[in-house]
Amino acid sequence: MSSPLPLSVPAPQPLWYKDAVIYQLHVKTFADSNGDGIGDFKGLSSKLDYLTDLGVSCLWLLPMYPSPFRDDGYDIADYYSIHPSYGTLDDFREFLDAAHARRLRVVTELMLNHTSDQHAWFKEARSSRDNPRRDWYVWSDTDDRYSGVRIIFVDIERSNWAWDPESKAYYWHRFFSHQPDLNYDNPAVRDEMWNVMKFWLGLGVDGFRVDAVPYLIERENTTCEGLPETHDVIKFLRTQLDAHFPDRMLLAEANQPELVRSYFGDGDEFHMAFHFPLMTRMFMAVRLEDRKPLVEVIERTPEIPETCQWGIFLRNHDELTLEMVTDVERAYMIDEYAHDPVARIYLGIRRRLAPLLDGDRRRIELMNGMLMSMPGSPIIYYGDEIGMGDNIYLGDRNGVRTPMQWSGGWNAGFSTTDPERLAQPVISNPLFGYQAVNVESQKRSEHSLLNWMRRLIAVRKSSPVFSRGSTTFLKPANHRVLAYLRTLDKEQVLCVYNLSSSAQAVELDLQSLAGALPIEMFGRSLFPRIGELSYMLTLGPYAFFWFKLRRF
Amino acid sequence: MAQDSVLSDELLHHLMAVGHVDVLVGVPTLNNAGTIRLVVKAVHQAFARYFPRDRTVLINSDGGSNDGTPNLVRNASADDTETLTVSHSLRTVHRISTPYHGVPGKGNALRQIMTAAELTQARAVAVLNADVSSITPEGIASLVRPVRDQQYDYVAPVYRRHPLEGPLVTQLIRPLMRAAYGWQIREPLAPEFGCSNRFVTHCLEQDVWDSELGRVGIDLWVTGEALAGSFRCCQTGVSPHPATSSRTPFGELFGQIVSTAFACLERHATYWIGRNGSESLPLTTPLPSSSVEAPATDGSRLTEAFARDLQNLQSVLEPILSQDTLTSLTRLAEKQGSHIRYHDDLWVATVYEFLLAYQRGVMRREHIVQALAPLYLGRTGSFLRQYSSAPEAEVDEALESLSREFERLKPDLIQHWHRSPR
Repeated sequence: MSSPLPLSVPAPQPLWYKDAVIYQLHVKTFADSNGDGIGDFKGLSSKLDYLTDLGVSCLWLLPMYPSPFRDDGYDIADYYSIHPSYGTLDDFREFLDAAHARRLRVVTELMLNHTSDQHAWFKEARSSRDNPRRDWYVWSDTDDRYSGVRIIFVDIERSNWAWDPESKAYYWHRFFSHQPDLNYDNPAVRDEMWNVMKFWLGLGVDGFRVDAVPYLIERENTTCEGLPETHDVIKFLRTQLDAHFPDRMLLAEANQPELVRSYFGDGDEFHMAFHFPLMTRMFMAVRLEDRKPLVEVIERTPEIPETCQWGIFLRNHDELTLEMVTDVERAYMIDEYAHDPVARIYLGIRRRLAPLLDGDRRRIELMNGMLMSMPGSPIIYYGDEIGMGDNIYLGDRNGVRTPMQWSGGWNAGFSTTDPERLAQPVISNPLFGYQAVNVESQKRSEHSLLNWMRRLIAVRKSSPVFSRGSTTFLKPANHRVLAYLRTLDKEQVLCVYNLSSSAQAVELDLQSLAGALPIEMFGRSLFPRIGELSYMLTLGPYAFFWFKLRRF
Repeated sequence: MAQDSVLSDELLHHLMAVGHVDVLVGVPTLNNAGTIRLVVKAVHQAFARYFPRDRTVLINSDGGSNDGTPNLVRNASADDTETLTVSHSLRTVHRISTPYHGVPGKGNALRQIMTAAELTQARAVAVLNADVSSITPEGIASLVRPVRDQQYDYVAPVYRRHPLEGPLVTQLIRPLMRAAYGWQIREPLAPEFGCSNRFVTHCLEQDVWDSELGRVGIDLWVTGEALAGSFRCCQTGVSPHPATSSRTPFGELFGQIVSTAFACLERHATYWIGRNGSESLPLTTPLPSSSVEAPATDGSRLTEAFARDLQNLQSVLEPILSQDTLTSLTRLAEKQGSHIRYHDDLWVATVYEFLLAYQRGVMRREHIVQALAPLYLGRTGSFLRQYSSAPEAEVDEALESLSREFERLKPDLIQHWHRSPR
């Protein structure tokens, strides 16, 4: 017998991320074990059975590092430890072992582009112009270099340069002014970041979601986004990763549709990247009751290397970004999904899935059904599996980062502390509040959204066709019906969705599949055999079918 | 139901797929291969630029073209439509080309388009002329928007054209319709219009579709129905007047238009008899400011034809015209062509007396209408000779004066109308 692998390292399984169902969560607001009002790794560990039961296969953790929390942890003050509120490195190791024991992969955040201005590196860098760390950041005596480069947080920042009174110079920041950009023209920075990665990979982390990828390098007279030198940095890190940790994964946060393909390289940069345009157009299609935006975006999606995968999602911890859509599309989305101006932030909408869909169970199911059958690895944002609400009055994007609603009891079962001490207040409105929407009550109801999501994920995982198959759109005359065929070798699944609020009849041209027997995948019901004529289906409002096509 | 005979199964099939729409644009066609691609392109650009969020459909109702018009509509490529536009329709843009059944003519095409509009519950409908290449996305939008956004029921186009152009409209149909209906509509014969679903439903309920009016005079009838019904009407500047070359000979065309005008006035008598004076219609989009050239005119040839034909028509005109009018016309015809001045009051009296004769049925109605043609040529020739080199404003004022004359003499028409046997 060969010796068993260390507990914290799952059995090697190349391309595991292509079949993953990812669950994104914030340690801070998931489960609090010590009653201090802040979630922690011990709390998260105690909820791993819940996540296993839900059926997800990978956890993506929001930043867990020491941080002044001026950007909810994305402003890192120390890359080599855990924020004390979340526990210790040992707590993290225990969590990682427990997750791996349940065959759950764990992906953490990696902020390559910038640090907190409270990071020791920046403190040293600004301490004097001669400090050895000075060149770890991007400095200038004037604020007119790289003029014309867009400002990302336009609501808050007026410039990409901020004045440092200590060293009397400007420093470059693409995000908040308290997040100075690292200088990747300095090889020492690149090497140090590989050290950071090695540290966490050595502990057993399965991959990184890499934040703000396009902005690593600056050059005059460019957009300073996605420059060739930025790709060189990524390739360096990927080469190191493959050499030392061959089955780990890098997931890129890069949302410019025209550039995102480039971050896959020739399979030698990122393993995964988010498909932001697909997310926006799923919302658009359902509100328009028209498949057009979805079909367009999938058909325009470039091919990616065989070893790569899209990360697809409905919502996440940030605003529903409308940065990369046209003005017409943005205006439509704002009008339809953000009537209340408070719900708007930056170029997007700070709402969770359920409130965006007016709590309409049918539309929530439809959207999740599409998510689980589209090409890519689906990502579920914590709480969306039970239809949690949000609080748009909390400032920034905190309204979608409120405590997980475990029960209808004290603090929604999240923490035993006094409500006033919670890291974020729990949602308590009558529609989405924890008394109405929580895990405990939904577990008890066979037909709850939670149990429906469990079945959905189970059906998704029952066939590799969803994660690895090709996608061919059928284009029936009825534009309110979205239909596509997923194919992997001899396995075929037909997915049909009614995007509208009224019942629809549709005729599908399935001549090429004549003789196949459709078996509805949730109830295993047999449907009439496909013949030479158009295949007629009727779908109730927002209903959908997944048919496994069998030949007997 | 009328719809049963208008809708083919194929069209019904298409409409089921289209579902409810916000904007429906209808294009009746018959051998329009030369222009239809431009029209379809303009429609799609209008959808993309001005109605990107709306549910839209283009319906081409074809009368049996043998030049491939329907295929050109169906196969309009993406290059012809969306990718050329700056904007982009958020929704699927449906495009249907379907033959209509029954008697050939625009009436059946329009009936099919209106039936489709009713079934799809179109909020706003625009009907376009497939015979022109000058239609613009802006013009289409200006026909749709007043219905969609301002709750108008009927939108008539206003063309930027020289006042000496289109004398059948300026000398006869426009002032007659204005005086009768009491609304200052500039283009009562326009083949393009916008309308609401309420107006569509009203039109479909009328018994006009299988009649001669439905076959050849549908444009004017639509205008009359809008003005005479309780509909909110407006006008909108669309584009320079399209240069069309009618395939119908003048005599036949004149007969069709005047017959339609008289038939409409007969149908709507209960409405217009109670109207005095005239009101302007709101102009929702100003006219394009492009300049237009005066048409080349030859009034002398027309007045000479008038003088010649009047001698031959005496026996036909006697039962139609009053003695005073006929005498005045006879004296006029005796003059040399270049000295003929067919004044407004005499022209208005002529038209009204023809209308009364039509109503009384003093002879076969088509003969009455045909007999008006040489008099129309005389009046037109006289007007053109008098104003051919006049500034536009002066011609406009002369036309306005003519319209006022029609209004001034309307009481005489009403007085005799009441006396006429029905």
